[in-house]
Amino acid sequence: MKRVVLPLLLGVFLLILQTTWLRFFPIHRVRPDILLIFTLYLGLSFPPVSGGILAFLMGYLMDLFSGNALGFYALSRPLVFFAAQFFRERFYLEGFYSKFLFAFIYAVLEGLLIFLLMNALHPSPLGGLYPLLLTSLLPQSFFTALVTPPLFFLFQIGSSFLFRQPEKGIMEKV
Amino acid sequence: MRIRGFFLFRRFGLPAFIVLLLLFALVLMSLRAKQRGGVEFFDALLMEICSPFQKAATFTVKTVQGTFRQYVFLVNLEKENRVLKQKIAELQEENHRMKEMKLTNERMRQLLQFREKNSPFMIGAEVIGQDPSSWFKSVTIDKGEGDGVKKGMAVILPTGVIGQVLKTAPHYATVLLVTDYNSAIACIVQRTRAKAILEGIGENRCQLKYLLRADEAAVGDVVVTSGLGGNFPKGLRVGEIKKIDKRGHGVFQYAELVPSVDLTQLEEVFVIMEPMSPAQPQEEKGKRGKKIKK
Repeated sequence: MKRVVLPLLLGVFLLILQTTWLRFFPIHRVRPDILLIFTLYLGLSFPPVSGGILAFLMGYLMDLFSGNALGFYALSRPLVFFAAQFFRERFYLEGFYSKFLFAFIYAVLEGLLIFLLMNALHPSPLGGLYPLLLTSLLPQSFFTALVTPPLFFLFQIGSSFLFRQPEKGIMEKV
Repeated sequence: MRIRGFFLFRRFGLPAFIVLLLLFALVLMSLRAKQRGGVEFFDALLMEICSPFQKAATFTVKTVQGTFRQYVFLVNLEKENRVLKQKIAELQEENHRMKEMKLTNERMRQLLQFREKNSPFMIGAEVIGQDPSSWFKSVTIDKGEGDGVKKGMAVILPTGVIGQVLKTAPHYATVLLVTDYNSAIACIVQRTRAKAILEGIGENRCQLKYLLRADEAAVGDVVVTSGLGGNFPKGLRVGEIKKIDKRGHGVFQYAELVPSVDLTQLEEVFVIMEPMSPAQPQEEKGKRGKKIKK
């Protein structure tokens, strides 16, 4: 129970951080997406079922507080989670650069997925969105990736307090 | 049979779970598109739970920011001047508070005058959070269904249009800003009375669509709401035309517009509680279910 409820509470805290404190980030368009980083961390360290549900809930909460009326993140976040799960054994994730690259790739891919969904479900062509791929998606993905290694480190410390096998997010400490 | 079933579950359980979870997300998207009540209930419930924390976090940030700006930077001063500097800091703090009170007072007076002049059926709301995603443009306000706020209601400031209510919870609501791609408002060019639809294109910019090529519009022209649709009062300033584009040989021309309100610096807003004229037709964009249900 603890392995679902505590990460969920942490996710809610990160969401609030993202919607309030990060609004004071000097450049609006490059606010790092800390909930995406958390989802990636879940993908690397949590079991598929509880982690998948958590990723879904993180996406649902993102949708709730965003102007996105259809709920793209409830779909994209579990996808990111399962993709991270699938590739976690194939990525060397020990150094700064590998974590940076890992998060950057996922941030860009998720952005592209949202972009495709928006274009597909919008009644008229969204021509104005294309420049944002360069001016917004890439810088934001870069900053998200930049923040990823220190945040992963903090999440790992938190996990080591809670779980016997922090790298797997299992076996609750009594 | 049971053993075989168990074996199949062990073998296909995880892929089945992944497929089910993703299917569930797709079904949820479909239900949202159809505006089903059940989803809205869960949305409202979760929003109601999370928003007080959001409000508290915003309050903390504002308090800390105020203190930081006016006091903390003055702490590390030379010892010999400490007392005097302390005094200055206190006076500055007091001065700052006075200025802040004066500014708030002026802002409130403007809002009150605006409210009395335009529509008595408005309530003020505080902005407590911004959109967590960079793709969409919305804010969360501290007024909800319990205060009479409903979906589709207009959100404005004396300086211009902000957007419309997208989702509601008992005490909170999400406002879709005019700069969001999903926003659409009927407008007219103030000088020539040419009709058009205002759509968001993100990054504090909007565009005028369906503006007839024959209609006159120029850079610098002010665009105001047309009042069609009944949600926005007529004549509210929306923004100023920055660029005109007569693409190809079509029937329409396009104009890029900068909103008259800086939507990244919102603090307080007004929600218009009463429809302006219920008899008028529904607003624009009656295409494939994209539009926000009013």
